[in-house]
Amino acid sequence: MGEVNLTDVRKEYEDVVAVEGMNLTIEDGEFVTLVGPSGCGKSTTLETISGLTTPTSGTIEIAGRDVTNKPPKDRNIAMVFQNIALFPHMTVYENISFGLRLRDFDQEEIDRRVEEAVEIVQLEGMLDRSPDELSGGQQQRVGIARAIVREPDVFLMDEPLANLDAKLRVAMRTEIQRLQKELGITSVYVTHDQEEAMTMSDRIAIINDGELQQCSPPLECYNRPVNTFVAQFIGSPSMNLFNGQVDGDDLDVSDFSVEFDTTNTPLQQDDPVTVGIRPEDIYLAADAEDIAHPSRPVTVTVDVLEPVGDQTYAYLLSETDGETTELLMSVDPDKDISEGDAIEVVFSRDDVHVFDGRTGDAITHSLVDATAVVEEVAVEGEA
Amino acid sequence: MSEQEYSGLTGRIVQYTIQNSADVYRLGFWVGLVSFIMITLFPFYWLLVLAVTPDNQLYQMGVVPENFNIGVFATVVQEYPLHHYIFNSILIATITVIVCITLGSLAGYAFGRVDFPGKGPLLVLLLIISYFPGIAFLIPLFELLTGSLSILGTPTPDLYNTPWGMVFPFTMLSLPITIFILTTFYSQIPDGLEDAARVEGTTRLGALFRVIMPLSAPGVVTAAIIVFIGVYREFFFSFIMTDGSPENWAVLVYGILNFQQQHTQMYNMMAAASLIGIIPIAVLVIIAQEHIVRGLTAGGLKE
Repeated sequence: MGEVNLTDVRKEYEDVVAVEGMNLTIEDGEFVTLVGPSGCGKSTTLETISGLTTPTSGTIEIAGRDVTNKPPKDRNIAMVFQNIALFPHMTVYENISFGLRLRDFDQEEIDRRVEEAVEIVQLEGMLDRSPDELSGGQQQRVGIARAIVREPDVFLMDEPLANLDAKLRVAMRTEIQRLQKELGITSVYVTHDQEEAMTMSDRIAIINDGELQQCSPPLECYNRPVNTFVAQFIGSPSMNLFNGQVDGDDLDVSDFSVEFDTTNTPLQQDDPVTVGIRPEDIYLAADAEDIAHPSRPVTVTVDVLEPVGDQTYAYLLSETDGETTELLMSVDPDKDISEGDAIEVVFSRDDVHVFDGRTGDAITHSLVDATAVVEEVAVEGEA
Repeated sequence: MSEQEYSGLTGRIVQYTIQNSADVYRLGFWVGLVSFIMITLFPFYWLLVLAVTPDNQLYQMGVVPENFNIGVFATVVQEYPLHHYIFNSILIATITVIVCITLGSLAGYAFGRVDFPGKGPLLVLLLIISYFPGIAFLIPLFELLTGSLSILGTPTPDLYNTPWGMVFPFTMLSLPITIFILTTFYSQIPDGLEDAARVEGTTRLGALFRVIMPLSAPGVVTAAIIVFIGVYREFFFSFIMTDGSPENWAVLVYGILNFQQQHTQMYNMMAAASLIGIIPIAVLVIIAQEHIVRGLTAGGLKE
């Protein structure tokens, strides 16, 4: 029963608009991640759901009730914080039971629920410790136990893993996911880490400058980004973007061009476009036969190689008429290329994205089948 | 060039100090420490000597007492209602502390944790008021608290000879410092903790008393002790607002003053009563010592 509904939510701080026109529906039991660069308004959005901040306008509904002007305590929500926010003057038991004690549950019920929560987060035997005797991961687990013990309608998480070290973060990520599936509580998760968003969520809501850009399942955001912002934000390393214009049956970008039949698109001759190619969709010309629709080869110089293990990131420079374009490809580490080499690369035309050069909105996500026009995708976030 | 030898006593001392500068620093430290202790503790010693010197020998009293009259402490406790005065003092100080901490917490929360227009000017105003000498308010306060004023036809209550006649001005005088201390401490509690408390089910006020105040314990204790000591030793309003009898809530300082009458000045009794009067404060400070040290130093540290 934990559906969350944001309608036209707007939040201003003095002269800054933090969130604008936010329309978002989070289904019961769904795990939605709000993601975006710092200062984009994702935390503010979460705060308006929690009631720690009152929106300037718009309404917020939780489980079918309008809670826009209700204080946090009357919303039946629980929250896990970035800085963990355990009460340092209370033991683990007192921390976890804090909300229950405030609500005058009887002692037996409190003990039963605390025990259950502690079992779920695997913290048995630590109830008498004080938070500063626990490791970072254990502290965050107490934070999670404190949140689930009240059986809230909605579970809010504000970058709960940001302060943990890299290894623990990955482990906790899986744990939170497992827990959320097990309990089936509607969850809203805020992070600036697109990888976290990709791996954990049912749907990702990408926010920029206070406005919702796209709200879709992770792979949809990756494969069919609605605009250049989403395209660059989702995926690591991020997508190569080149500005250029339509030139007959080609998209002409600075010093190379890709063939594209514009008939099924709104594009006209000389319209500005932005071409987006993910590093993983660039191949060495020698491997062109492995892909269905390779582009014309482009000659480039290898500038820097960054091996990361399972693949190597190659920073390539393409130079014509004194103008240099940089592009990034990810290549199998077995391939025999080294810095300074001149090589030929091709793009998989099935995976090249084309965006409107003026608005940045997506036009198509494949050069081969240009019917993939984007209008249907764009509205999804506002459904 | 070989090391130059110094001759004569002075020369040898100079040579020694140059070669053993650590000893010299240590000597300097001890000289400083002993002087400091003597300066602070001598008044107490003098008070003690004064107390134990029999009253007929007071005129020729020296640094070393010539006669011991320990019985003076018993006399003071048995023949005068000293305990009653001390009780009044402690009670009035306690009430003032409770009122100050409660009001100061609310104000400290607002100043330390909430952004509102006019916050800066209000704090400055508070600071300015706190610099006024208490005596500046004497006449208006006396009139207000003795029922001599009327507001819209209703006379103000007559609080003369009641504890409230003292609690009121003491609270007024102690509040600014309380608010300043608590503002500093409350502002340092991370927002996340308050947010967590509110999400868990408290109101803002609940978060203040359940989370922010307990976490600011050193600051709260420091403020409480400062107010308590301030009230305990306050003379001016204590003298004005009662007639000096313990039944009418006269406090310790008034009680000590009562040894000084028109024709007799029982200095040894006053000294003995003063020493006994110090005991409650000393006990309080010893108990709360740890908190006070943390409280006084914490304000200057940014974590």
